[in-house]
Amino acid sequence: MKRVIIIGGGPAGMQTALCLVRRGIEPVIVECENELGGKLRNWHVLFPTFTPASDVLTELRRKVRENRIGVHLSTSVETFTDRQATLSDGRVLTCDAVVVATGFTLFDARIKEEYGYGIYDKVITSADLERLFNEGRVVQAAGEHPRRIAFLHCVGSRDEKVCQQHCSRVCCVTGVKQAIEMRRLFPEADVFNFYMDIRMFGPGYEELYREAQQRYGIHFVRGRISEAAPTHDNRLQIKAEDTLTGRPLRMSVDLLVLLVGMRANDQNAAWAADNGLNQAPSGFLQPKDLFLGNVRSGVEGIFYAGTVTAPKTIGETVNEATAAADAVADYLTTKA
Amino acid sequence: MNFFVPFCIPFIVGAVAMFITLAWKWGLWLYRLPRADKKRIVCGLPTRATLDAAGEVVCESLLHRRIFRVNPLLGYMHMSLAFGWFLLIAVGWAETIAYVGFRWVPLQGHVFFRYFATGLPHKPVFAFIMDLLLLFVLSGVALAWGKRFFSKRMGMRRTTRHVLGDRIALSALWFIFPARLIAESTTCALYEGGGFLTGTIGAWMGEHISTMTLLTLESVAWWFYSSCLGIFFVALPFSRYMHIFTEIPLIFLRRYRLRSDEKESSYDRFQVDACSRCGICIDPCQLQSVLGVDNVQSVYFLRDRRYGMLRAEVADNCLLCGRCAQRCPVQIDLNTLRINSRDRLHNIPAERRYDYLKGVDRSSGTGKVGYFAGCMTLLTPRTLVAMERIFHAAGEEVWWADRDGSVCCGRPLKLAGETDAACKMREYNTELFRKHGITTLVTSCPICLKVFREDYALDGIEVLHHSQYIFRLIQSGRLAIERGAGQFTYHDPCELGRGSGIYDEPRAVIEAIGLLLEPVDTRENALCCGSSVANTAITDGQQLQIARSVTAELEATGAGTIVTACPLCKKALGRGAVHAEVRDLSEIVADAVSK
Repeated sequence: MKRVIIIGGGPAGMQTALCLVRRGIEPVIVECENELGGKLRNWHVLFPTFTPASDVLTELRRKVRENRIGVHLSTSVETFTDRQATLSDGRVLTCDAVVVATGFTLFDARIKEEYGYGIYDKVITSADLERLFNEGRVVQAAGEHPRRIAFLHCVGSRDEKVCQQHCSRVCCVTGVKQAIEMRRLFPEADVFNFYMDIRMFGPGYEELYREAQQRYGIHFVRGRISEAAPTHDNRLQIKAEDTLTGRPLRMSVDLLVLLVGMRANDQNAAWAADNGLNQAPSGFLQPKDLFLGNVRSGVEGIFYAGTVTAPKTIGETVNEATAAADAVADYLTTKA
Repeated sequence: MNFFVPFCIPFIVGAVAMFITLAWKWGLWLYRLPRADKKRIVCGLPTRATLDAAGEVVCESLLHRRIFRVNPLLGYMHMSLAFGWFLLIAVGWAETIAYVGFRWVPLQGHVFFRYFATGLPHKPVFAFIMDLLLLFVLSGVALAWGKRFFSKRMGMRRTTRHVLGDRIALSALWFIFPARLIAESTTCALYEGGGFLTGTIGAWMGEHISTMTLLTLESVAWWFYSSCLGIFFVALPFSRYMHIFTEIPLIFLRRYRLRSDEKESSYDRFQVDACSRCGICIDPCQLQSVLGVDNVQSVYFLRDRRYGMLRAEVADNCLLCGRCAQRCPVQIDLNTLRINSRDRLHNIPAERRYDYLKGVDRSSGTGKVGYFAGCMTLLTPRTLVAMERIFHAAGEEVWWADRDGSVCCGRPLKLAGETDAACKMREYNTELFRKHGITTLVTSCPICLKVFREDYALDGIEVLHHSQYIFRLIQSGRLAIERGAGQFTYHDPCELGRGSGIYDEPRAVIEAIGLLLEPVDTRENALCCGSSVANTAITDGQQLQIARSVTAELEATGAGTIVTACPLCKKALGRGAVHAEVRDLSEIVADAVSK
């Protein structure tokens, strides 16, 4: 039986494994964390339908368990080629192909020091907010009766100053989704979204954006926040420019949520150098082509699935994992 | 003796043309000096400054002492050409007097004396000295040739790319001394005499070459020598060699306290033309060494400006880090010249954009000590928070000038050439500082510091960088620090180090907290972080490339923390660092304050 090593046990890795099993190929998942699920584990609900992230996760994990797929937890891949992978515990696994499904790294908002993340406790990230929802501690962070809550889009995305020129795609709709959640939780609060562009590319996203404005009365201000500073009453003062009216504005808020972008893993560079893989200028791994070779690396026996190649939604990631499994099966059949 | 033969003509024409051009240029530049500068010259003339300037002329224009510091071989090359030639002229003069007594001898009589002196009794001492000096100069020419191919041996990785006019003058210069050697040797071959060099070569020629050929050769050689001189002299005022004569008045004017300023003035011409295009400024430029940008360095900027071909792309593409100015052997005020060129290119006179500043005051608190964070510090609030803790720990009453928003200090606008707009900022802030009656002004930003110190009229207010202020607090015992096991390396911000001469206080503060490890390029030679507000031409990606090269050097010290004392440097290095943490001096101090 052919064996395929899948690096990364998030949604992409799990879905690839499930599709490979159906085709009679033996997948082995290597996951560096102590459980499967990747970044989805810390997420609360998914846009645009507010589906609990745990629904998706539980389903995928259940299938992986039922199919008895081999999983190495708390283990990372040090180096690999198309025929083998060296693990962090020293073991060497042989295989017939490798699928890289290592995903992305969240942008470290502390780099944008002007927003005060890590300095003022009223500044949190979108990922923090999901976690707080899961832990039921949002009120603790925002206060009992927050008057104003601000979301800032594009933190670590489309920002030359931090060398992240790409769009992270999912933050726009995440911002809309989270704004609605906050408004539901704090009906008295004014919720502001500061954006450069609102990119509502997926099914139901535009409708959600309209609903946010019409039904929830969320304010959208075109303009980035330039800086945040604490006020005497333990709130935050933010400065921004409303670029539609061309006026500078300053307001005090009770919570500032930074919609942090997706950046490429630092690991990509070393792996690309080892195997002759291409890396896009953004740092993400570059697929063979963007049309017929989306999941192929251009190197025999090495495939990609999910956000290791670019920011994607959960749905897109799972679809791509299916495509990756298909390409792997195709490759193994032709080789045999 | 009438001291004239036809071959003298090229030389005479060249020399006359050169002196007329020089007199005209200098006359015009001096005439156009502002009245205040003229007054400075008149007042300075009868003082010590004149003597000091004369001394400096000998040390620099002749001996080239500063180039010796760059590389001894390079220094020797410049010295042998300049000092050697000077001695040839001076001793040649003495030789003429020794031979013919005190009588008027035309210029060409001195220069071609060996040709005219054939009938006079031989004076071997002078022949020896003159040959020795010629050999001295020739060794310099040989080195100049060698530098074309082995510039690294002479301390220069890259040398200047010269324009056509310079190449012609350069070729003429290189031929002058070999031509003189051949000409004098041929004359010695025919009429004997000469020292160990010309005499020996002449004797050898006399043995091996027929007299008829020698006669022709002599005529050709002297014509060639005279022509080389003539071409060189005609080209001199229009080529890089204008520096030979311009550096001398420059030294005097500088000693009389003439300075370049944010607006162009006639004095700038002395600075611009004093550039010898030696190219020493190229190697320290990080735009060159990291980014491979090779047409914007000071040598090219001055050249373009001198010939009126300066483009904004060249004027704007400079970090104004001052690494080149620090090495410049002529000590040209490169940054100021760059700024006043930008002023000419970009300044908008009668700026009314900032009329809304009137009456705005967002400051808070009261105290004799004012704190001006600066725009960049407000964008890096860790520094601001740390300063708040330090002030609190020291029990200082502080007037916060800009915690809730401010007007810029004006320096970024000045650096961009918008000097009139910068002036509006200065006026606003000066009035603000005066109104609140502070006696000390502390800032965390070296950019603000420099402009406060140099361009603001803040008499009675002491302007301190936070590193100096913190150092004083520690020294006077007002701030108790606990020394830890941390290992730090320090990055000198350009505006703080080279710009304001503050090197020791930040180091003393770090040493009070932990171990300080120095990087390879430090203090006066420190690298620029690459994100200077002075450069509006390079991209963010290029800034990052420079930042990475700088942090690589800082991280190579093995220190876990890179400390700097400028919010802009901190931001720049923060994105270039791989392992090390990048922090402002105030942050590590705030963490080390004894509880």
